[in-house]
Amino acid sequence: MGRRLRAAYDWFDERTAIRSLLRKGLYEAVPVRGAWFYTLGSATLVLILLQLITGIFLTLLFVPSVTEAWQSLNYLKEHDAFGSIVRGIHLWSAYILLFVIGLHMVRTFFSGSYKRPRELNWVTGVGLFVLVLGMAITGAFLPWDQAAYWTAVVVTNIPAYTPFIGSFIRALWRGADTVGPITLSRTFGIHVWLLPAILFPLIGAHLALLRKHGEFGSYINYRGAYRSREGVDVPPAPAQRPIEPPYPAAPSDELWAAPLETEDFYPHQTVKDGIISAALVVVVFVLAVVIGAPLEAIADPATTNYTPVPEWFFLPLDELLVLVPQQLIPLVLVLPTGGVLLLLALPFIDRGPERNPFERPAVMVPGAFAVLFVVILTLLGSGRLFNL
Amino acid sequence: MNALLALIGPAFHALQTQLPAQAPQGNNIVGAQIAIGSLFSLHILIAGLVSGAAELGPAIEFLGYVRQRRSYDRLAHGLGRFITYYFSVSSTIAILLITVLLVGFWGHFWTTIVTIGWWPLFIEAWTFVLQVSLAYLWYYTWDPLRGFKGVHMAIGGLLAIASFLQVFMIDVVASYMLTPSAQNPIRLALNPTSYPLTVHRTVGNLAYIGFAFGGFCAIRYLRAKTAEDKRFYDWAGSFGLLWGVSMTLLQPVVGYSYAKEIQLHSYGSWYKMMFGSLSPVFLWQITLLGIMFLTATLYFARRLRTDQAKGSGILKLLSVGMVLTTLLAAQPYALGFSYETVAAAGLNRPFWEGGLINPLGSMIPWKVLALMFYTLIAIAAVVWYLRGLPGVVWGTARRGEQRILMLMTVFTMLMMVTMGFIRENSRGPFLISGEMTIQGQQDVPSTQPTPQSSP
Amino acid sequence: MAHRDPRRLSRRQFGVLGTQVSGAVVAVLLGIPIIGFLISPLFRQQQAVWRKVGDISGVPDGEPTKFEVTFPQGAWTTAENNLAVYVVKNGDNTRVFSNVCTHMQCPVRWDGSLHQFLCPCHGGLYDINGANVGGPPPKPLPQYVHRIEGTTLFVENRFTEEI
Repeated sequence: MGRRLRAAYDWFDERTAIRSLLRKGLYEAVPVRGAWFYTLGSATLVLILLQLITGIFLTLLFVPSVTEAWQSLNYLKEHDAFGSIVRGIHLWSAYILLFVIGLHMVRTFFSGSYKRPRELNWVTGVGLFVLVLGMAITGAFLPWDQAAYWTAVVVTNIPAYTPFIGSFIRALWRGADTVGPITLSRTFGIHVWLLPAILFPLIGAHLALLRKHGEFGSYINYRGAYRSREGVDVPPAPAQRPIEPPYPAAPSDELWAAPLETEDFYPHQTVKDGIISAALVVVVFVLAVVIGAPLEAIADPATTNYTPVPEWFFLPLDELLVLVPQQLIPLVLVLPTGGVLLLLALPFIDRGPERNPFERPAVMVPGAFAVLFVVILTLLGSGRLFNL
Repeated sequence: MNALLALIGPAFHALQTQLPAQAPQGNNIVGAQIAIGSLFSLHILIAGLVSGAAELGPAIEFLGYVRQRRSYDRLAHGLGRFITYYFSVSSTIAILLITVLLVGFWGHFWTTIVTIGWWPLFIEAWTFVLQVSLAYLWYYTWDPLRGFKGVHMAIGGLLAIASFLQVFMIDVVASYMLTPSAQNPIRLALNPTSYPLTVHRTVGNLAYIGFAFGGFCAIRYLRAKTAEDKRFYDWAGSFGLLWGVSMTLLQPVVGYSYAKEIQLHSYGSWYKMMFGSLSPVFLWQITLLGIMFLTATLYFARRLRTDQAKGSGILKLLSVGMVLTTLLAAQPYALGFSYETVAAAGLNRPFWEGGLINPLGSMIPWKVLALMFYTLIAIAAVVWYLRGLPGVVWGTARRGEQRILMLMTVFTMLMMVTMGFIRENSRGPFLISGEMTIQGQQDVPSTQPTPQSSP
Repeated sequence: MAHRDPRRLSRRQFGVLGTQVSGAVVAVLLGIPIIGFLISPLFRQQQAVWRKVGDISGVPDGEPTKFEVTFPQGAWTTAENNLAVYVVKNGDNTRVFSNVCTHMQCPVRWDGSLHQFLCPCHGGLYDINGANVGGPPPKPLPQYVHRIEGTTLFVENRFTEEI
């Protein structure tokens, strides 16, 4: 039996070169120390795939029409327990995905993984972050319940404050001056087709670049970490351990080109990735079953006692909308846009070879401020929401 | 636990009936307020440092461990020593306040607030126990646990958490006094000004300890005998100021949000601070904030200049920007005592139309812009100072820098006393907004100004 | 090699140029309809309709009263939207406000205890005349074009000023 299987595998390998592909994919070298922190990227990928799969199955029921969207989801809620769990997974996985992608971004920021030659890895990553945020926002419109409808109204209104072309952008998205049937259809198309069509090739590029240069890790994996401001000599390279592909990263200076200690991606890193991803999926599943995805009352544009409440990841922006006085409202657009532009420019601002975050405070401290501002705005926003 | 409350509740009610329902009258009320006000200010001035040190010290120890720098360890050790010396001083004042002065002068209020805020105060009492035990443990096991830094840092971490919880709990009670909510524990902890006040005070305590040990190290530097001590105190002074400014530049956004919540939930207090009898003090506060940022930027510029490090020029430019921003922030809106008095005299027109209004002093948009510029210029100053630091040789600071550090400490204390004064007086005539007055301690219906009755 | 006229295209140059031109042709032929499709709704005029709101004789002076009006949603759908309308009478003067906040278009409501229109999203406040008096809203509350026949109010799906 074993011989037949091996023969079949050989037949397949002759025609597809699967063996060398797997060897290249699975047995690549990754850094050893701190490996648990480096599982965040794969956790993000797993959650995105979870979204893709649950999303596909949701399109087997959901109708993107203003008269039927809520009805189809309400039908799911009333008559389909398993379908409701799928919808719950789709919601909670989205919430947790945004949190994990934030952690992943903070980790790669502080470890200096965006430095030469991995700048484009970071740039594609920022693009992915913006696209995932776009997926979350557009997905929130679709149920057409009170929460979705008013989210659609407020979110599509934000670009209206862009000077000159603001109301044009708003009308482009809404398909008219007010939120209506065209808005739902357009947003559905954007959420299900347009954004994923950009997102998945970009993920491919992000992963391909990762494979090309190798996982950087962080400063604790390199000889460069042993250099300090007092000019202590860097210890000599350890007695000859072969440097395995994809290292040394080229071009990269000698102290940061190859980790001191590496191991095979499969099974050592994949088990860690697997544990973290599985744990997150378990959390998502439990939340989906216990809390599920809420469906509020059907959208009622005439309401005068509903208070629109933003999604948790929108809290910092919402708090900003409360605080910024009317003469300075364009700030609400300038700050997030400026933030994204700064993120994109980061590898080109911080060009020095030093990777230790504690030795490059001029970049790390403003980054820490930005994170602190977002956290503080979120806290203040959530405090406000309890007292509406 | 409910059984415990069921036991204590009636005891408090019984106590309430025994204590005078009236506050001290006439001159006695002024005397009582002065006594309590000054003791509370003294308490806050020390307790803020203790809380800040208990949170910052463990963080510095951790940083020192990661960077393998002995100076961080020495600094954290010094902060630990400070806590052990001064914890009991501020606690004694606090105990004196709550067991003698508040019970004696405003007994009805005190028993009411303890009943309402039972859970936060109960948790806070236990965080004190934790704080005190962990602080002494952390300090005295420093050398014995040198080989087990992980354990020692864990103790420090727990100390920081206990410290934060203690501040959070007392802020729940203090914020309830300004913006009362429903009295169940969850709503109490989430009352409208609870989060803003806690964020504001936590960030503020961290800033305060930074500025305080900056000034302290300045004095020590000038008295240092050995080169190693000089190096340490020079570095520590700079570190303290850097830390203080970094935390302070977060405050404009937090403070503005705090004021917004007060506007939405305790309009009378907000009006008093912005337009009424406290507005001159509030104007002084925003000016002092600018003076503090300016002083810090001047230190950064000078310290880099002393060692010919790069960036001194840019920092001088930023100082000029800070001066201009402070001048903008310091503009009074009403060219009289307050807007309220100017409006009452019928003179609320721009001064070029014969009135007493200076439009450049309006909160929106000018002072909001000034606050934003404070933050942005301070971030730039911190960044450029950090960029220039590799060119600095510790131990070579001149007297001028050290004087600036000491001035910063004085300014910070002044700021804390100013804010305490504004806070407590904005709520007047209430002890609990809309529910209990200072004079009578009776539970009263609200007679506060509301949005429709104001200009 | 015989002398070649440099103005004539070489085989290679023809290949490069041909590839580029055919790509451009495809892009243009695809792009024009798509872009037109995306922006066409902006040039479609919204159909003006008048709808009856109801009898406003019972509305007390100085007391904003909520009514609902039904307007078409637009596009292909026959389902219509209920929208909220606040009628404020001041002697002979009647104003008809929309409850769309001029900050982020959240639903505004009249708050009797504050005696102002309040937007719950970000704390915007409007007075009884619709003027923006507090919080972030940059403009006054929009008013509907309306007419009164006897005691019946009719409203058009158009504001007196664009927001």
